[in-house]
Amino acid sequence: MASERYSFSLTTFSPSGKLVQIEYALAAVSAGASTVGIKSANGIVFATENKQKSLLYDENSMHKIENITDNIGMVYSGMGPDYRLLVRQARKIAQNYYMIYNESIPTSQLVQRIAGVMQEYTQSGGVRPFGVSLLICGMEPCPTSNKMIPLLFQCDPSGAYFAWKATAMGKNSVNGKTFLEKRYSDDLELDDAAHIAILTLKESFEGQMNETNIEVGICDANGFRRLDPATVKDYLANIP
Amino acid sequence: MSIMAYNGGCVVAMKGKECVAIATDLRFGLQAQTIDTNFEKVFPVNKHMYLGLAGLQTDIITVYKRLMFRKNLYEIRENRVMQPERFAAMLSSFLYEHRFGPYFIEPVIAGLDPKTFKPFICNMDLIGCANMPDDFVVAGTCEEQLFGMCETLWRENMEPDDLFETISQAMLNAFDRDAISGWGAKVYIIEKDKVTIRKLKTRMD
Amino acid sequence: MNSVLAPEIEQHGFNFSNCRRNEKLIHDGFKPPKATKTGTTIVGIIYKHGVILGADTRATSGNIVSDKNCEKIHFLAKNMYCCGAGTAADTEMTTKMIASQLELHRLNTNRVVPVPCASTLLKQYLFRYQGHVSAALVLGGVDNQGPHIYCIYPHGSTDKLPYATMGSGSLAAMSVFESRWKPDMEEEEGKKLVRDAIAAGIFNDLGSGSNVDLCIIRKDSTQYLRNYELANEKGVRNLDYTYKRGTTGVLSVKKIAFDVVEESTSGIEKMDTN
Repeated sequence: MASERYSFSLTTFSPSGKLVQIEYALAAVSAGASTVGIKSANGIVFATENKQKSLLYDENSMHKIENITDNIGMVYSGMGPDYRLLVRQARKIAQNYYMIYNESIPTSQLVQRIAGVMQEYTQSGGVRPFGVSLLICGMEPCPTSNKMIPLLFQCDPSGAYFAWKATAMGKNSVNGKTFLEKRYSDDLELDDAAHIAILTLKESFEGQMNETNIEVGICDANGFRRLDPATVKDYLANIP
Repeated sequence: MSIMAYNGGCVVAMKGKECVAIATDLRFGLQAQTIDTNFEKVFPVNKHMYLGLAGLQTDIITVYKRLMFRKNLYEIRENRVMQPERFAAMLSSFLYEHRFGPYFIEPVIAGLDPKTFKPFICNMDLIGCANMPDDFVVAGTCEEQLFGMCETLWRENMEPDDLFETISQAMLNAFDRDAISGWGAKVYIIEKDKVTIRKLKTRMD
Repeated sequence: MNSVLAPEIEQHGFNFSNCRRNEKLIHDGFKPPKATKTGTTIVGIIYKHGVILGADTRATSGNIVSDKNCEKIHFLAKNMYCCGAGTAADTEMTTKMIASQLELHRLNTNRVVPVPCASTLLKQYLFRYQGHVSAALVLGGVDNQGPHIYCIYPHGSTDKLPYATMGSGSLAAMSVFESRWKPDMEEEEGKKLVRDAIAAGIFNDLGSGSNVDLCIIRKDSTQYLRNYELANEKGVRNLDYTYKRGTTGVLSVKKIAFDVVEESTSGIEKMDTN
């Protein structure tokens, strides 16, 4: 392939104007486990596959959905180790902001700064881009009124970020997005959103879905939290 | 002599009913020698917030400029007006950064919240220990006199016009007993819909 | 984020750029200014179900009372609070920084942070600055091992005690504890004891004054009783010292008027989450 001549260094553009390493990073994301995020009128839901390769794994040892602050949550598709580094960075950025302004970091600010970190890894020497796409969600006061509004962002390996109403990433993300386009409406309630998120995962889920091989996170006026397996089981019970 | 008293000057701020006031004298001196009688120590931060700085003049200007740099960057980056609480926190961390080589200033902040218009006043020591009382804050070379005046004159829920009289008389009578403050004064009354800036008639000795 | 490519202006740590200038000014005979201190009586005890911390609320600069109602019991974590004496800015900022580190630790380890962990972070930080960060602390908290009270000195040494006092009023407060503290006290009895210890400081030590703050930390709940007792209420003014409007001579007036575009009610609207 011609483009391979330009993939020896990630900071070199190919003649067609591409940075192929970034495209390969996106390929790593597309190969990763499915993740869904949906914004509802009063909160945000994350759902992600957390399948273990073997029965011998201790399924409670690792989590994919993490709190960044009490109000902000994060999840990923792609490479786990890269994600954990970004989680640590995000928490530090959030604490740093709090130390200066005595106020929790607004979600959009956190996303901007995380995107800054990810961009840096597409332009520095001796590093590679992150093999993850992130979903970041949070509730924050509306700039014009005092209502709390939900926010959902996606952050790509290139450092690009987007605000979504609902999105899917990872394996089968195209099908997932098509499914969401059909099911999404602006006046969804949080519980409906959780239901749809799990359904979207289920569309492409291989094998039997249960409370140990998916994770669900919820963000509402009380903050962000990962649901415990018992609550996830209750949600699953309502799904045909 | 303390370096804080090298140039002289004082600042005071008070809370009123849905309004705040901040006042300063206008003298700039080098110890006992008066150089200028139009040196302002109160600066606008944004529409509803003013910052007063007492202490060494060179540091007053430096600190003000550095703060405005940070505050402007915040407002552009976050696309929103900075609340007084945020500004105070930022100033406090800025001053504490210089814990072991401080700027010789004592700041006073007075403002209204950009959304709720809640009155806010605050002062700090030179390394950023904030104090946010319900009544008044003072700083400068006649701090002790100002404490006494404010303690007797301040009342709860003053209307803007009464607040003006109170803060003006508190400051005038305080700096008349201080040789290195005075020589003119300026009072800012900050309300929801307007800021009124009055230059006072004072003793010029 | 402090790299070459994406630099942030927020530099971390102390900035020493003014030190040489300030040193010269001192050398030239200008006295260095005084920072706000908290003379302070701060205490902590272990009782049957947890710990109780107490503090007075006076801050001083020299002989002037600079804050009559300051907050000396600082938040560290949900299960930990810390009373601070010494230079006010140091206690404030040190506890804020450690609180931030503890929060990161809690998020990264996903468990209740043990109290000895906070004590270690604090003592390591204070020792690093060899006493120049002058914070004398009483740290109290409850973790999975039970209740803990630590005294932490500005140079970084610590004591682990069942009851502790610090600050200029520590002698007065300790006299109360020494005569009346006993193991496994009930909560009301404990509150009374801590209140009496702080009151001893307020009324016998000139560096301490104003009101009593308490903080009760139990196994699974925390109660911050700000101004638990107003020990010194301001008297009512009998005469009116109001100046008549128009008393002050005004040379010029300038008005800056704004259009108030919007007015929103204060407080954040609670969302309906049903």
